[in-house]
Order: sequence, then structure tokens, then C-alpha cells
Amino acid sequence: MDLRLSEEERLIRDTAARFVAQELLPREGAFLKQKEPFVPPGDPPRRKLDGGVEKSLIEKAKRAGLWALELPEAAGGSSVGQVGRVLIYQEFGRTVLPFEPPSIPAAVAASPYAARLASGDLSLALVFDESHKTGDLSAVRATYGRSAGGYDLDSDGIDVIDPDRDLYLLPALEHGGGVGLFLVEKTAPGARTEGAADLNNDQTTARLRLSVRRLPDDHRIGSAADAEAIIASEQLRIAARSLGMATRCLEASLEHARNRVTFGRLLSSRQAVQWMLADLAVDLRTSTWLTLEAAWKADCGRPYFADAALAKKRSARMAFEAADKAIQIHGGYGVAREFPFEGFYREARLMRLLYGREAELDRKVGERFAGTGL
Amino acid sequence: MDFRLSPEEEELRRQVEEFVREEIIPLEPVFDVAPDIFEGSRWKSRARLSRDPDVQRYIAIMEELKRKAEARDLWHLDVPKRYGGREVSNVAMIAVTEELERSSVPLELGNHVSNILYACKGEQVERFLLPCIRGEKTACFGLTEPEAGSDPSMMAATATPDGDDFVIDGTKMFPTFGDVADFVQVFARLPGTKGREGVTCFLVDTGHPGYRVVRSIETIAGSEPCELVFDGCRVPKSQVLGEVGEGWKLNQAWLGARRFQVGIRSHGAALRVLRRVAGLLPPGGRERDRFSAPLGHLRGELEALRIITYHGAWKADQGLDVRFEAASVKLFATELLHRAVDFALEAAGPAAYKKVHAVARAFRHARPRRIVEGASEIQRHLIQRALFREGIACVELP
Repeated sequence: MDLRLSEEERLIRDTAARFVAQELLPREGAFLKQKEPFVPPGDPPRRKLDGGVEKSLIEKAKRAGLWALELPEAAGGSSVGQVGRVLIYQEFGRTVLPFEPPSIPAAVAASPYAARLASGDLSLALVFDESHKTGDLSAVRATYGRSAGGYDLDSDGIDVIDPDRDLYLLPALEHGGGVGLFLVEKTAPGARTEGAADLNNDQTTARLRLSVRRLPDDHRIGSAADAEAIIASEQLRIAARSLGMATRCLEASLEHARNRVTFGRLLSSRQAVQWMLADLAVDLRTSTWLTLEAAWKADCGRPYFADAALAKKRSARMAFEAADKAIQIHGGYGVAREFPFEGFYREARLMRLLYGREAELDRKVGERFAGTGL
Repeated sequence: MDFRLSPEEEELRRQVEEFVREEIIPLEPVFDVAPDIFEGSRWKSRARLSRDPDVQRYIAIMEELKRKAEARDLWHLDVPKRYGGREVSNVAMIAVTEELERSSVPLELGNHVSNILYACKGEQVERFLLPCIRGEKTACFGLTEPEAGSDPSMMAATATPDGDDFVIDGTKMFPTFGDVADFVQVFARLPGTKGREGVTCFLVDTGHPGYRVVRSIETIAGSEPCELVFDGCRVPKSQVLGEVGEGWKLNQAWLGARRFQVGIRSHGAALRVLRRVAGLLPPGGRERDRFSAPLGHLRGELEALRIITYHGAWKADQGLDVRFEAASVKLFATELLHRAVDFALEAAGPAAYKKVHAVARAFRHARPRRIVEGASEIQRHLIQRALFREGIACVELP
């Protein structure tokens, strides 16, 4: 057993930490303070990263090897492995600035879009809405069938987060057969989105309807195993981002409690505050090791799907509670939009809902345990 | 980063797994109805006093298991090589206990040697340490007092120097085995000292003039800790364990190393209780439907406990400071065990509340764990203190 980071892992972690410290955190304050010139009634105000800034950040991230993490180097990616990926997303999770390496699953490497996705010229939306409730492929309803000259792909509606992306990646079910994984261009004939709406965390969602005919063969990029690997990989990404968020919340809360005086005493001397932070630190520690162990198993080729699901469930919950505690300890500043905590709070709540709701994942583990004792 | 056991650790784990499968699991039905005294290592001392033929029968079974474990060289695992043991790592001991905990038979491999006894010097080694390693003597641990627990500044027992001797006065509460141990490791402070300063540990034989066992105290868990009184108890300087005035460090070393065993023991106990309950939820039934999500939640939390326990033990093996990890594991483990047992009762219903039922037994035994060796509140205090002193470094990766 050796739980130290290897030289390579340390290098990866430090590279990401440096990028976040030098490029993202200094921009966070200005990002948080920007106001919408016009806020439609009923809509929560939303902030966006400036287009020019985003472009330059992408270039810098690519140069630092913090881009297209899952793609092999031959396809223009960084191919860092899951442990490396966890270490990277953990660092990016420390800021509420909406910028991190995009998820570009390894399965796209053989597709005609690989190079343009790796370069950042094309963007990708993972359309796994039908997997969000259960965390698996059991509820996939989009269908595909073989036709002359390609595949037919149909869906009467799937929610897609970030519908403005250029490409959609989604699992679909063959009539009486297995799951296939497909890439569809946003502008493909027969693909249309409608009913765009904002999510509580400043992302957009829309309903995607598909009635695509003769999708070229090379747009089918995988089967059920690949789709499951994407779910697990996304669960690890969410877990890692959660760890970063919680670390930031804990650090800021410690700092605030050290300085803030109430009724003549520092907050840090109040047991109510001390215990909130003690419990958070223990939870952060446990979630960190669960996540790293799951990622390590993935890198060794061991079964890791159940571990990834547990890591995501526990870490996202922990991040939500971390943000909740940070808000409480910061008082009014906690809910002020010029501080990052309310942003973490809104984002973490969504992360708990993605790739498996808590009760679903728990239930699956419980069923397995009751059946096998494992 | 590598989460695997080393080849030697893995080989040891495999040997213990085999031993558990071949020798211990078959005894489970026998131990299902054993008296509470067969929990932990109590059978090695207290149970021996019993004249109850039933208790004596169980002792005979345990002695037989001990002989079999010795034959496989599985008895002196954590004893240092210079005293004839195998001196395996903390991680290996966690793996060993994890295997043992698969069974409800309360076997601990090895005689109970409190780790601070390795501070024995000179004739202390022959008189106190070696007999404990050989299983000929047992010791109890006298730290807690009627008005003092985890806080050294409250310790009132005194050790007054007088020529070449010390005279110990004071009362110690709750030493387990206090009534049957051959000697006590007792902590007392030098006169006029405060806090952890001046705290000194002494080794005092049972029956030594001025040292008496006042009473044993029945508890919820079947253990009977004692009240000990030291009244002008004169002991020579040669019975100081370690250095004069350095006793608090010994106490912390004793607790620190035990924490990770508490972690893996709680893990095993909770897992067994949950398995028991899972067996009561038939597939497709309403009960299964109702309880599988909370069952799965607790199963997941046990995975979290397991990994931080291994991490803490690994860190201890590296010689790194593990106070933060030790407190975290103690807190998380004992609170989780409590929740698991509570859930198990809820799912199993009143039938599981019969005293002899495994779940009811677990319920009794789990409760003291959140108190002994530092209550959960003390652990939270230690954790927050480390956090405010060292900041986020406490939770960063090595």
C-alpha cells in the first residue's frame, strides 16, 4: 500500500492547482460581481464567462495538458488516467468560475470528430438525461435501428444540459437489442431542441427531439459497456469537483471563523461552529479516499462502477453540505452573490441529481447487499 | 498511488482468511448463544474466574482456537521481533482484524499487550512485559477518574516522590479487568504540576499495599469496569513506566495506535449486523422494498469507514503524525456503528430485541464505544483544534 501521490500524479495535481490559482481564482471576483443589464421577471440573474476570456483560457489549458483528459495523445488528448483526472477536477472545483476541462469520453477517439473536439473547435454535450434518475442504462428510451446507409435514431424528448453545444452524445436502445452510443450533430436533419430554460445553477437545459435518418455508421461509437463507462467517468468527475468545492468552503469558513467576532468572542471559539467544521473535515477526508480508490481501481482495470457511484453520491452530498455550512458560517455574506458559496450551493444540489439520485444508488447497493452479502 | 496490500501483507491476510474459514466460522452457531462475557478479549481474563460450567466450556473452545492459531504462527503478529513476534505493520493488523471480523466468534489473535508496555526497561521487561506477551499476566489501564476523563488538567491522582519511592494517592474509574488483572498501568501527577505536565505512569501489582479494587461496575455491554483506590500506595522508582513526567505521551500513544483497530472492528461489527438484517428481507417482499435504500446507504458508509481506516493505519506505518486521522476514524467508526445497529433494530423489529439476539447484543455493545477511549465530543474537539491550528493542510493529500 502506498497512498502517497506518485511523482507523475503530483505533477498533474500541481499543474492544475497552478492553473486554477493563476488563471481562474484571480478572475473569480470580477465574474461574481458582474450584473445582468436586464433580468427578465421570474428568472434568476445569471452570469457568463466573457467569450474572449474563455477562448484564451482554453488555449492556456490545452498548453498545460489540462484539456481532453480522457482522449489518447494520438487523438490530441492528455490521457491522464482516472486518478490524474480526479486530481485535476478537484483543483478546478475550488472555484465557482464556470471553466473546467470538458468531458470528452475516450469512446469518441475513433469518431470523425475526435480531432476537432480535442482542439476545442467543437463542443460536446453528454445527453444522459435518461440515466440521471437511476445512474444506469435501465431507463434509456431513445431508440435506434439499422437502415440502409446508416442508423435511424428516435426520441420523443430528452432533456439536454447545454443544448448549444455542437455535438450530442447519447445512448439509445435497439428494438429488442442492446444499447448503442451515438454522436449527433446539433444541426443534423431530424434533431431539434425546444423549450430552453435556465437551471438554478446558471446552465441551460432544453428538450431534444430526435427523428434522425441514415446517421452514418461511424457516428455509432460504442455499446452498453462504453455508455456505462461514461456514466462512471462522469460520476468520478462530479465526485472530484465536489471535493474541490468542499475544500474551498472549509478553508474559507476556517478563515472567516478565525476573524469574525460575535458577542466578544471569535466564531472559532464557538462549539457550534467548531463541530460543523470538524464533521465536514471528516466527511471530506472519507469522500476523498473513496473517490481516489475508485479512480485507482479504474486505472488498474478492476471493476469500479459501484465504487464510482458511491464516490459521487457521497462526495456531491458532502459538497452540498459544505456549501450549506459555509453559507451559514458566513451569514449574510454566505448568500451574497459576490461570494462563491451560494454558487457552490446551487451547483452541488444539481450534482446530487446527476448520474444517479441518492436513493436510487442506495437502493441498488442495498439490493446487491441483501442478495449477495457483499 | 497503490491501494494494494504488499505481497507479505496479502499472504498474511490470506492465512487469516483461511484460518477463519476453516476453524472459526464452523463455531459460529456455538457462539450465537454465548454469554456476553465472550465479547472482545474479556475471556482471556475475567471469564476465567467464573465457575459456571457453560463459561468454562467456552473458555476451553477459545483455548483450543488459540493453540490452532499458534500452530499457524498467527498468535504474536504485532509483537516486536526482539520479543519473538512477527512485528507486522499496522496495515497488516487492520487486514487481519478485517478477516477475523467476518465471524461473530470473538477471537482476537494474540494476547492482550497494551502497546505502552513496550516502554518497559530493565527488569520491567521480565516482570511485566514478557508475561503479558506470553499470556501469563494481564494488565488494566488506570487513567479515568471520577472527575476526569480525556482532559489531563483535571487529573487529581498524585504521585509524591519520597526518597527512592513514589507514593500514589487517588481514585481511578472504569479500568476494564481492574478486578482480575495482575497489575495496573496507572497514571498520576507529580505534586504541584498542571495540565499534561508531571503526569507519570506506574506499573503496580494487584495486591500491592495501598492499592485496592473497590468494586466492579456492571454496564450495558456486559463488561465490568472497576473502581480502584490508591491510598498511600508506595512504589519504587523502578516501577515508573517510561520517564517521570512523560506519562501523558504514553497515554496518547496507547490511544493513537488503537483507533484504527476500533475503526475496523466497528466496520466488521456493523457489517455483520447489517448482513443479519438483510437476511430478514426476502427478495421481492415489502420489507426488502422498504429497507433496501437505507441498507445500501449504510453499506456505502462502511466502505468509507474502511478506506479511512486503512489510510490512517498506512500513515501510522510511515511514522507520520496521525492524530487527526485517529480522531476522525474513532468518531466516524463508532457513530456509524451506532447508526447501523439502530437501523438494524428498526428493520428487524421487536423480535430482534431479545437479549440473546445478535442485533440486541450488538445494540448493547455498540453504545459504550462512542464514549470509551475518548467520547465523540472529545474527538470533534481534537479535530477542530487541528483544523484551526494547521488549517486546510489537515485534509490535503500527502
